[in-house]
Amino acid sequence: MKCDLAIAGLGPVGAFGCGREALLAALADGRSPVGTTSLATPAGPVELPAFLADTASLERFVARRELRRIDHFSRMALLGAFLALEDAGMLGMERSRLGLVIASGYGAMRTTFTFLDSVFSGGDALASPTPFSNSVHNAAAAHVSMLLRAIGPSLTVSQFEMSVPSALLSAALWLVEERVDAVLFGGVDECGELLHYCWQRFFPAAGEARMQPLDFQRQSAVAGEGAAFMVLTRAADTIRPYARIRQVAQGNGAGVQPPLPQDAVLFLGADGHHRCGAAYGGLPAAAALAAYAPLYGSLPVGPAFDLTLAALSCRQGRLFPGPPGSCRGFDGAGETLAGRSICCLKYGSEGDYGLIRVES
Amino acid sequence: MKGPAPVAVTGLGCCCGAGADLQECLATLFDDRRLPAAPTLFRTDHAVRYPVFQAPLAEPEQAELLRTSRLALTAAAEALADAGWSVEALRGLRVGVCLGTSIGSTISDEGFCRQLRAGSRPPLRPMQRILDSNPARTLARKFSCSGPCQTIVNACSSGSDAVGIAASWIRAGLCDLVLAGGADELGRVTYNGFSALMITDPEPVKPFDKNRKGLNLGEGAGMLVLESAALQQRQSRRARRGFVLGYGSSCDAHHLTAPHPQGLGLKRALREALQSSALAPAELAFVNAHGTGTPDNDRVESRVLHELLPEVPFLSTKGYTGHALGAAGAIEAVFTLACLQQGRIPASAGFAQPDPELPAAPVTATTTFAGIAALSQSLAFGGNNAVLALGRGEP
Repeated sequence: MKCDLAIAGLGPVGAFGCGREALLAALADGRSPVGTTSLATPAGPVELPAFLADTASLERFVARRELRRIDHFSRMALLGAFLALEDAGMLGMERSRLGLVIASGYGAMRTTFTFLDSVFSGGDALASPTPFSNSVHNAAAAHVSMLLRAIGPSLTVSQFEMSVPSALLSAALWLVEERVDAVLFGGVDECGELLHYCWQRFFPAAGEARMQPLDFQRQSAVAGEGAAFMVLTRAADTIRPYARIRQVAQGNGAGVQPPLPQDAVLFLGADGHHRCGAAYGGLPAAAALAAYAPLYGSLPVGPAFDLTLAALSCRQGRLFPGPPGSCRGFDGAGETLAGRSICCLKYGSEGDYGLIRVES
Repeated sequence: MKGPAPVAVTGLGCCCGAGADLQECLATLFDDRRLPAAPTLFRTDHAVRYPVFQAPLAEPEQAELLRTSRLALTAAAEALADAGWSVEALRGLRVGVCLGTSIGSTISDEGFCRQLRAGSRPPLRPMQRILDSNPARTLARKFSCSGPCQTIVNACSSGSDAVGIAASWIRAGLCDLVLAGGADELGRVTYNGFSALMITDPEPVKPFDKNRKGLNLGEGAGMLVLESAALQQRQSRRARRGFVLGYGSSCDAHHLTAPHPQGLGLKRALREALQSSALAPAELAFVNAHGTGTPDNDRVESRVLHELLPEVPFLSTKGYTGHALGAAGAIEAVFTLACLQQGRIPASAGFAQPDPELPAAPVTATTTFAGIAALSQSLAFGGNNAVLALGRGEP
């Protein structure tokens, strides 16, 4: 889908911290802090490296007592949403024509497990209602709407690693159709016990804390969590946006390849999973490309972070070096964008792809 | 907002507690039969066994896909056949899939989690099944669809939202054809969850009735084949079953599980659906209401319908299907289009005694009409409201 949308504000939340400046600092450092998650087993705790997000600064926007029943998943979304609106200078705006679109690969997994825990410990009759209602996939969108008094259309999309491009398609259509004047768009996913267990079983070699996303044959993914939100508007209505989104495309298998402009810089959604590596390995050898997953980790909504980084690159007119070994075809150290577009490209494991093309 | 642009619906499919296909479902509706029963797909130790509406879909011992996806495949196959499409004929077209669900996207398996909590190392098969069962992706894989793929998880309005968004894809020229709808399965998580919220009725559900106590859960899938005008012109196949004329959606921003008491979000969604379809209230033959049978939902809907559409008859079909959550809006859109074609709606099952608190009441008998448009509306957890404006197709 060809379009002309503006990215008017950014709200990233992750292991690098929260907000645009924290992400820029991580870019400059070439790293984000890696924490650990712990899983209790009969043989003792098993620890895994993970990029974890802290939402303490949400209290800058929302009183602590209002957050009492809101889980970590929704808090990450809320923090991302507030930061994006603040960054766009739209915190005080009237919100009847603000749409909300949230992408999540897995939803609030921890809260779903908490609900099941209440059944395991008390039986069916003592199932707990609060975690049940917070485990519904659109709970984060509901909390964002309620706390922001956003009464426009609201949409939550869950398409695993294609959640972001898929959801962005709807956000773009809402703006093109003039259903809304702005869309608060974001991706959010979380780490947790269940993910931890599956991760160590699906990827027995996991345990390295260093991701090598451009080594497509190697399984080097490190789990991540966070939220990346942004304010989208129609470009014609926007003064000095970060970047303009010119195309959103999504396709599925059947040998269909994404339409890549020849001189575009590619921001790959490669995040250390060798199952998807073969698709990236087929890209032209001369292509200028980068993969920034080592800053935010491996999570289904990684393309929302890539889009954020693309917006920052467009604003500054240059490419960021990123973590060591995450760029190819440019050294990144101050290299200018020079009118090139950036394509955020994500491949799934079944030949599916998502493409978001942005320009200054 | 852009002007109206009807999108043709060329095929319908449905599998739910009212029947294995659309024909069976319509027979159930117009024969005024209701088939709720205690759950058999799973065990429960509740003192009261709340009745459910189970779809007639066999449960194999070793299912490779979640039941939600199998329900979606069943309804999609029926819809494509109804539209005259084979898988081979779809190749080369830009085919999208837009599907609503709730349980179908939840990353949890009770047995798996129970073992994990108990400290054992459960095998990964249940998790792999979940990862293989994203509902929209499942259909895209099965029918070799190369276009956009979206699973919408807007709780109980997901199915309506999916149909509305799929119509946008067609209007924007993104797809030649879209498989749009919703699917959801019965399961212990939702059964226990809704019981914990104390909004389930121990008897067959009674939407809009004075003695309503809550919902009965259901399951199923409703599927629509939407086609672009260009595709219709190029490859004329079956008669058009109807049209998606418009769509509106809005968030209450009020409460996680309860609708806004004045139905402000529902009113906005309803007005947007009318505006986007350029329909006047007088042109509406009926409204297929959400009508879950919960005290709050039915009170709000009755008030909104009385205020905005006082002359338009309405019904709830959940008395025949139960509440199929993420599938409900799609199943009801299918029923709405089928009823428009037949020029009649069934009695609103379960309604017997008017509630003095509700200003409007549903139809109590099969009702014929001459109108050519209707609304199907959904309310959801999270404060989501979605309304579809649908038009009659060719006889």
